[in-house]
Amino acid sequence: MKFFSAFRKKSPWVLHYNAGSCNGCDIEILAALGPKFDLERFGVINTGNPKQSDIFLVTGPVTYRSRERLVELYSQIPEPKVVVAVGSCTTTGGVFRGMYNVEDGIDRYIPVDVYVPGCAASPQLIIDALVKGLDVLEAKSKEIEHPFKLFGTIEMIGNKLSRLNMAKKVEQHEKN
Amino acid sequence: MKKTIQIPLGSQHISLLEPIRFKFECENEKIIGVDADVGFVHRGVELACTRSFEFKQVGYVVARVCGLCAITHSLSYTLAVEKLLGYEANDRIKYLRMLMVELDRIHSHMLCLAHTAENAGFEALFMQIMGDRELIMDVQEAISGNRVQFDYISIGGVNRDMTPELTALIHKNLRLLSDKIDALIGLFDNNWSLSLKYKGVGVLSLKDAYTYNALGPLARAAGLATDVRAETNDFPYETLGYQMILESSGDIHARNFVRLREIVNSMEICRNIIDNLPVGEIQEKAKGKPNGEAVVRVEAPRGELFYLVRGNGQNMLERVRIKTPTFSAIPAMMEVFKGSEYADAPAILASFDPCMSCTAK
Ligand code: SF4
Repeated sequence: MKFFSAFRKKSPWVLHYNAGSCNGCDIEILAALGPKFDLERFGVINTGNPKQSDIFLVTGPVTYRSRERLVELYSQIPEPKVVVAVGSCTTTGGVFRGMYNVEDGIDRYIPVDVYVPGCAASPQLIIDALVKGLDVLEAKSKEIEHPFKLFGTIEMIGNKLSRLNMAKKVEQHEKN
Repeated sequence: MKKTIQIPLGSQHISLLEPIRFKFECENEKIIGVDADVGFVHRGVELACTRSFEFKQVGYVVARVCGLCAITHSLSYTLAVEKLLGYEANDRIKYLRMLMVELDRIHSHMLCLAHTAENAGFEALFMQIMGDRELIMDVQEAISGNRVQFDYISIGGVNRDMTPELTALIHKNLRLLSDKIDALIGLFDNNWSLSLKYKGVGVLSLKDAYTYNALGPLARAAGLATDVRAETNDFPYETLGYQMILESSGDIHARNFVRLREIVNSMEICRNIIDNLPVGEIQEKAKGKPNGEAVVRVEAPRGELFYLVRGNGQNMLERVRIKTPTFSAIPAMMEVFKGSEYADAPAILASFDPCMSCTAK
């Protein structure tokens, strides 16, 4: 795990899914990947494969028919993963809020880490969001690598892990 | 009976910007049948335009039908409402509106070319065209304040005026761009590996284009002379140097060439507009409530965009009907796929420049 996290931070791969957006934010994502804004200097590559991705870029207010695909794609991305909601309509429903076929934002379906406002979100903002997403990704990978995550808080004595106290907790947990 | 296999493409795929699903019926490598499912992004804009928004707001809502041709959507809606209000814009407003529509056409065509290049496996060309496209995006941002979704047109006028600095910027960027487009034309014409992917691939014959109701660049590449800019007289296109661009072979190469030459033509129109911009107000009062029914056609980058607006003298409209170019062109697209190789499918698809959020609304 340690081995991979170094690469993950230097080169996050993104998966882009359009959940009913107007294309405005999608072309801004493309523009951000293009030479002027050049997201690729952060090692970002747009993949089409959820199994190889770290960051999930979603645009659009989630239409009725894209819900299952959205959740399906989300669950196929391996942990740790970061979800970035690009555009006003992705974060809150925006102009589409309340339309009959629309679910008003993706956070009803999947947890979102970074929200990008704007209709359309500018490439500068998208870059900021991805850089922010990198921090979140790093924090998440640390959390996963921690073996005692399941059993509550970490026990420390001084600045060392207290293995005895934590082992006791595990015992307690198994008894219950 | 021969065995066929079914191969799905989409709804999420690296070569697709938007969700659309194809079911290809293949016999070895040949596609013999296609089934398309386009409704993934249906949001219900038409209904919302008549239920939750007043007619003054609807212009900004319909712009969100599609981000690429947002300006043509708001333009067609505004024209329809202005017809109902019995208001005719002055020349300056008309010219400024045309300017934005043509700039939008340039950037939309360039995006399509970039995407076609990417789907033919030419990543460097994709990057190059996306880089050149920024020249136009800068102009759009300077004129309207936003790169896409500029909400430039409102009922009774436009929202921002042209200044001398802007004129200079437009001239400078168009000059830079025109050299690059010339280079691209040479590249698309002469590059050997591109010609393998494009020439003779995805052919739509003139007869098919006619029977299946092809539109826009798709039809003009097959030699079918159809362009709303030439057919209506809402805007003075003829006086500003508009030319109908026609090719005859109907393959991907021809479609790329129609787009490239239309970019050149649009740049000329833009130059003519800013050089001959009439003086006048940019916002005028358009009073009253829409009453009656109006139909408007405007040439979007992908073909004819059709709007029907019906009002009954109230703040809320009775009906807004949007018929978008990609929707009308689907039968022709299906026809092109039949008989081509499966490996060419993404490139063929990109060369149609389909816009799903327009289609499903
Ligand atoms: S936020 Fe605006 S520009 Fe972006 S996808 Fe939504 S409606 Fe389109």
